[in-house]
Amino acid sequence: MNQSEILVSGKKQSLLRGLSIQQRLPLLICILLLSTVVAVGIAAYFGVKQSSFRIAGDRLKTVAGQLSSIYGQTSVSAMLSSKTIANEEPIKKYLQSPGSVPDSIAKISLRKLQTDTQSLYVELLDKNQQRLLRAGRPGFETGISGQALLAELQLTPDSARVSKMKQVGDSLYYAIVSTVTADKQIIGYVLRWRIAFTTEQGLRQFSQLLGTDASLYLGNIDHSGWTDLRKPVNAPPENVYDTASYYTYSREGIGPVIASARPIPNTEWVILIEFPQRTILEAARRFAGWILIIGGFITIIGIIIGWFMSRNITRPLKQLTAAATTIASGDYSSSVEVDRKDELGELARSFTIMSTQIKNAKENLEQKVKDRTQELEIVNKELEAFSYSVSHDLRAPLRAINGYAIMLKEDYGDKLDAEAERILSTIMSNAKMMGQLIDDLITFSKTGAKIISNQWIDMREMAQSCVDELTRMEPAGKYHISIDDLRPCKGDSNLIKQVWMNLVGNAIKYSSREEMPSIHIGGYEDDTHCHYFIKDNGVGFDMQYASKLFLVFQRLHTDAVYKGTGIGLALVKRIIDKHKGTIRAESAPGHGATFYFSLPKTSES
Amino acid sequence: MSNHDAEILLVEDSMEDAEMTIRALKKVNLANKLVHVKDGREALDFLFGTGSYAGRDAKNVPKVILLDIKMPKVDGIEVLKQIKANDNTKFIPVVIMTSSSQEKDIVTSYELGVNSYVVKPVEFESFAKAVSELGLYWLLINRIATDNR
Repeated sequence: MNQSEILVSGKKQSLLRGLSIQQRLPLLICILLLSTVVAVGIAAYFGVKQSSFRIAGDRLKTVAGQLSSIYGQTSVSAMLSSKTIANEEPIKKYLQSPGSVPDSIAKISLRKLQTDTQSLYVELLDKNQQRLLRAGRPGFETGISGQALLAELQLTPDSARVSKMKQVGDSLYYAIVSTVTADKQIIGYVLRWRIAFTTEQGLRQFSQLLGTDASLYLGNIDHSGWTDLRKPVNAPPENVYDTASYYTYSREGIGPVIASARPIPNTEWVILIEFPQRTILEAARRFAGWILIIGGFITIIGIIIGWFMSRNITRPLKQLTAAATTIASGDYSSSVEVDRKDELGELARSFTIMSTQIKNAKENLEQKVKDRTQELEIVNKELEAFSYSVSHDLRAPLRAINGYAIMLKEDYGDKLDAEAERILSTIMSNAKMMGQLIDDLITFSKTGAKIISNQWIDMREMAQSCVDELTRMEPAGKYHISIDDLRPCKGDSNLIKQVWMNLVGNAIKYSSREEMPSIHIGGYEDDTHCHYFIKDNGVGFDMQYASKLFLVFQRLHTDAVYKGTGIGLALVKRIIDKHKGTIRAESAPGHGATFYFSLPKTSES
Repeated sequence: MSNHDAEILLVEDSMEDAEMTIRALKKVNLANKLVHVKDGREALDFLFGTGSYAGRDAKNVPKVILLDIKMPKVDGIEVLKQIKANDNTKFIPVVIMTSSSQEKDIVTSYELGVNSYVVKPVEFESFAKAVSELGLYWLLINRIATDNR
């Protein structure tokens, strides 16, 4: 396969690929059938043409043979009759002893040779080839000299011959020449002049013999004097004299012909029969035409069958596609109705089973999700009820403990000694502490369930407001707090405020015992996150406990020194986690602590 | 103190809370016309003169109602609903007192037309202060409203 073929086949493939199966199959059938039809048509055309030529050629040969022998016999009898009449006594005597027989008697004999319409005249020549007598159409001369004719024929004593056909003007003449012989000496010649043309009747007879389309030609063997028996015509190609075969050539005014020639015995003539190829080709053409018509019909039927077949194939495919599209769009109720026993039916059944299974699986999944959601909702409700009752019911007795302790103090304060009062205030402070613990716990648990909102937060302003709020009760100027320019970030403002409150609150709380409490709030950013930090110079913590820092109820300092519930940093971590941010701390005991937290720049709401 | 002529109706199931509340109001001289009922059922009976308060003149309404939310039998929300649904009682100022700041409670009671809200803190002082301020405020408002009639 060379490159161009590859290119062509590649192109064809891509062309086919652009078509649907429904178009491809009929197209293929169409191409297949058409090429078959065309091939068969061409083969049939040439086959029929060849065999027609052979048959026609054989027939031409036979007919030419038959006609030439008929012509031969006719000429033999004509020569015989000429010889007989030429050697009749009056003519002999007329020649042997001039004057012994009157001209009229000799002419009577000569006139016997005027047998048909082709006869023109008869002349009698002496042995010196001089005309003595003439009989026949008065005044008509062919203009051909008898001497010249005799010189060509070279007659021997007691013989007769048919001359070549001689063209004079638009006419062709020939002569049947017979010697007049006495004592084996030529004493004179009788020339029967005839025209080479025949009558319409004669032509009709030929036509009947040969068929209307065939034409008969006569000519001399030396390639001159050709006629169609009506008029002179052009000579056929020279190779036509080979009698072994038939020939094809083009005849002026008729076109391509098939022809066969045969010399006429005893003459110097050739008979030629031509048959127009058109007639033969017509048959072949008609045959090929029929084949094409039938082929076209078969092709159309083939295309129709192909169309139905491919539709038969593609319809279930289309149904499958439609069903698959429906399923893809989320509707699992569609099924494919293909009532077939073949591969496509199998496919459709498998598809239906598959879609049913998907449907079931989805329904199962939906049911499971529903069940789980319901369970979760129940659990959530229980949790809510729990936190509700915790906030109500745990606080009520605390309130009573605290309230009654106060009542005791108010009503019986003067009766209590210092120790009793210390005990009483311990009771009160613990009750308050527990109240705070409950509040923090509820906040913490609520934060976990809360759906966070997502808005832009001015972090500097928020940090500043937290600082203001937390230092309101502190002596002015006790804390040195600096806040850098902080980059705004997205998040839930209530929750982030809680983060600032707790972290700044811690910084204030754990640096409160320093001589010069100092807090630095700053931030930076990278590609994905905004980072913030709160740095204090307070007590700090040992990094080996850092892992416990953000766990609930885990405290690194005792209540006696720094009050706290152990929930604040756990809450901060939970809020930062919910924002998909990070939090960490760096510290060393006695060297302050730095808390870093980050929030993603593109926080999902 | 007459059961039938009250300026303040305290609806509170917790005896301790009630005592502390009354004590706080006493300090500002507001507890002398106070009626304490122990649950929602009793509160409604008192207001509408039914049940154990049958025969009480329902027209004689208190000037302010201090209402606890979490109570047995009929809870505070239900009491509030019925107060606001009755033409005779719907103008009485109602102050909700609750242990929790659960948003649901707050939203529900404001929807029902509560006039004020106080979360009972553990610290008695601030609770007492809140209660007495509220009681005083609403009583005074009511007095002014009554005087202006």
